[in-house]
Amino acid sequence: MDFAEKENTLPKLLRRNYLKYGLKVGIREKKMGIWQNYSWAEYYERVKHLCLSFISMGLMPGDRVSILAENKPHAYWFELAVHSNRGVVVGVFADCTPSEVEYYVVHSESRFVVCQDQEQVDKVLEIKNRIPDVQKIIYWDPKGLWNYSDPLLINMDQMIELGKSYEREHPNLFEEKVSSTKENDLALFFYSSGTTGKPKAAMVTHQVLIGMAEALNDVDHFKEHEEYLSFLPIAWISEQLAGVGCSLVCGLRTNFPEKPETVQENIREIGPHFVFFGPRLWESLIRTIQVKILNSDLINRLFYNAALRIGYRTVDYSMSKKRPSFFWSLLYLLADKFVFRPLRDNLGLNKTHVCYTGGAALSPDVIKYFHAIGVNVKQVYGSSEIGTVACHRNFDIKPETCGPPLSNVDIKISDNGEILVRTPNMFSGYYKEEEKTAKAMSDGWYHTGDFGFLDKDGHLIVMDRMDDLLTLAGGHKFSPQFCEIQLRFSPYIKDVLAIARENETFIGALVNIDLANVGQWAEVHQIPYTTFSDLSQKPQVIDLVRQEIVRINGILPNYSRIKKFINLHKEFDPDEAEMTRTRKLRRTFVEERFSQMVEAIFSDKEELEVISQITYQDGRISTTKSVVEINQV
Amino acid sequence: MEVKGELKLKVEHLTLSFGSLQALRDVSFEVYGNEILALIGPNGAGKTSLLNCISGFYQPQEGIILFSGEDISRLSPAKRAQKGISRTFQNIELYTGLTTLDNLMAARHIYIKYGPIAGGFFFGKARQEEIKHRRIVEGIIDLLEIEEIRYKVVDSLAYGLRKRVDLGRALTLEPNLLLLDEPMAGMNVEEKEDIARFILDVHELKHIPIIIVEHDMGVVMDISHRVVVLDFGGKIADGTPNEIKQNQKVIRAYLGK
Repeated sequence: MDFAEKENTLPKLLRRNYLKYGLKVGIREKKMGIWQNYSWAEYYERVKHLCLSFISMGLMPGDRVSILAENKPHAYWFELAVHSNRGVVVGVFADCTPSEVEYYVVHSESRFVVCQDQEQVDKVLEIKNRIPDVQKIIYWDPKGLWNYSDPLLINMDQMIELGKSYEREHPNLFEEKVSSTKENDLALFFYSSGTTGKPKAAMVTHQVLIGMAEALNDVDHFKEHEEYLSFLPIAWISEQLAGVGCSLVCGLRTNFPEKPETVQENIREIGPHFVFFGPRLWESLIRTIQVKILNSDLINRLFYNAALRIGYRTVDYSMSKKRPSFFWSLLYLLADKFVFRPLRDNLGLNKTHVCYTGGAALSPDVIKYFHAIGVNVKQVYGSSEIGTVACHRNFDIKPETCGPPLSNVDIKISDNGEILVRTPNMFSGYYKEEEKTAKAMSDGWYHTGDFGFLDKDGHLIVMDRMDDLLTLAGGHKFSPQFCEIQLRFSPYIKDVLAIARENETFIGALVNIDLANVGQWAEVHQIPYTTFSDLSQKPQVIDLVRQEIVRINGILPNYSRIKKFINLHKEFDPDEAEMTRTRKLRRTFVEERFSQMVEAIFSDKEELEVISQITYQDGRISTTKSVVEINQV
Repeated sequence: MEVKGELKLKVEHLTLSFGSLQALRDVSFEVYGNEILALIGPNGAGKTSLLNCISGFYQPQEGIILFSGEDISRLSPAKRAQKGISRTFQNIELYTGLTTLDNLMAARHIYIKYGPIAGGFFFGKARQEEIKHRRIVEGIIDLLEIEEIRYKVVDSLAYGLRKRVDLGRALTLEPNLLLLDEPMAGMNVEEKEDIARFILDVHELKHIPIIIVEHDMGVVMDISHRVVVLDFGGKIADGTPNEIKQNQKVIRAYLGK
């Protein structure tokens, strides 16, 4: 069904939906313990008044506005308000530090900064003197801000009042502005996570974002008013595409959770039809199930394990395109009715017909698990620069791949194995970085920087970043990511860094144990512990991790097997810049930061004293000292 | 900084003894409408005893306590709660076995008008009252950011969160005077910052005087307007945080003579 017709910008789509759906619910937000509804009409009115307010404060077409917020409807309202006057939105991750915020605001030359609450406002006020171009700092949650009197501050209610009085003086101005928006207007800047060098801003137009949403709709055929749960950061292309894009193009209802910590509960309450989570959340869902099963009684465990075996067998049949026998089909029906349906209900995933995972690789084991229990998890491959490029199609899912390319996308592999993409939904380059843009594009093909290949069915397999591949002694190409995602399937391993050296014959691993699950395991086995550092170095925990590694080694190729590992004394932390805000490990940075441990792994040492620097949430710095064991497998 | 406001609490010549042990010796001080008053002193100085006298758990042998001009010295703890004096406890005395929400709703009981029959059948008026109280409790849950533990039984919560629920319960009483007994005991740096921020939020939003017993000098210096110092049951100093920091008697009390 062709939704977009002639509405070729996001504001025009909003207007179309307002005229078409009026008082039907377009947005829901859980606030004060209950779900509050906003109709498309209320959505439109709010955007109108905010847009007029921006205009009265001097926002011009092409101006950039940064938004620092978690997933809240207000972020969508402000975004559309900026778009309606042909402005550009720069999404900033809510957990960025003040200096990171300064970088994004200054580099994008933002004239306004929209903040969710006191936490974000404080960050911006801290860097106030270094962002002189910013005219106003806008916020909507007044908690804690009652006594702030900085003249730069203005809250959303005040803006709406301004907008209403501006409307009285200039009736119909908003409708004219919406009509004047053009499909080639820049809509968004997506700053890359900066795994290498300073973050670059990929510029994306309305046409491209809408094109990406339509491409997704072509695969999944959304129906209007289906429920979508907004979870991924709004600074991320995935959320802009699935959340803003698909909701406007297809008329989906967007549901905003109460807080990131209440998401699992909120999913249960909404029962969404469409979700898009990062690999970490899918992995953590499995871990939650595994721990709950471990804690339940014998009967439940028996039923669950039996059902899972049936589930996996059925998945094997469907993934190898064979039909299961009547007997197995019947067994699956029973397993579904008594085990999987209640399980899915508990997770809130009973109604979902589209579950995407993207942003980083998800282990095939995780994908198979969810299919076994009846959740249609599909991998998506893409980036801010090229949108969605490949994704799994229903009933044709090969878990190790990312599915075939979308119909209007061409993929080819360069001579050195790099994935090159050509798509009509291409970004407009990196802001103020012509050289880097030229480097990434050649002859209309975008260089993804990823190493991969197309299998015999034309499905794309993405192995790793080109820069992270290592050639080992013996000429084998080693992909650390491949090794790591296998290990992360274990409930006890939250994160892991696989390290290799060119002249070494084995792989080492720095393991970040999962505190919740390992803690639970320790309690069950009556092993007392105090802190994360203490737990990670317990000999029994080291043995536990060793067993997991031995198991995974069994499915890895010989040259890729882990021979030595260290349980880290502290968790990987984006605040320490060890991970990006999207939870991808900054490989080179981490290897440098933990260089002593890396050296120790490739030496004969059995233990190492580590002194690390920790940055508290308020910026204070202190050091900790621990002793870590270097363990053989 | 001058934040006085009207005189809310006046404690005069309070003396409390347990047999031959004198917990408080002739303690007098005042608390004004808009201030955060920190009550500090070495261990055993009598700080919790003083709070217990104000909230009515202990009956001092001598002295009077005036709250908004009224003598409350003979009132029971329940009556003092109804007057608007609310407190948290060093040992967090929450209702174990109940969820966070239940603990907070229970604190609304002094305002609930419906009786057991209306409540049992949940008629129109009872339902409306319940909604009203729930809205107020949700406001406090939002203020203290404890949405994710709304339905969790309090026994299963971590220490820091239980302290927050205790603070929430004190707030649902809609107090005119808030007594906090070591709200930050046992917390790490980040947890202390969170609680300090909540205390300041409460102070800004509700405009009520807060008496806080605290050991962390950093917190005391940062958030209180005035400080009263006790030592061996007697008041040895009373002034702004800066004045107290330089007061010789206080320094000697902490470091020992």
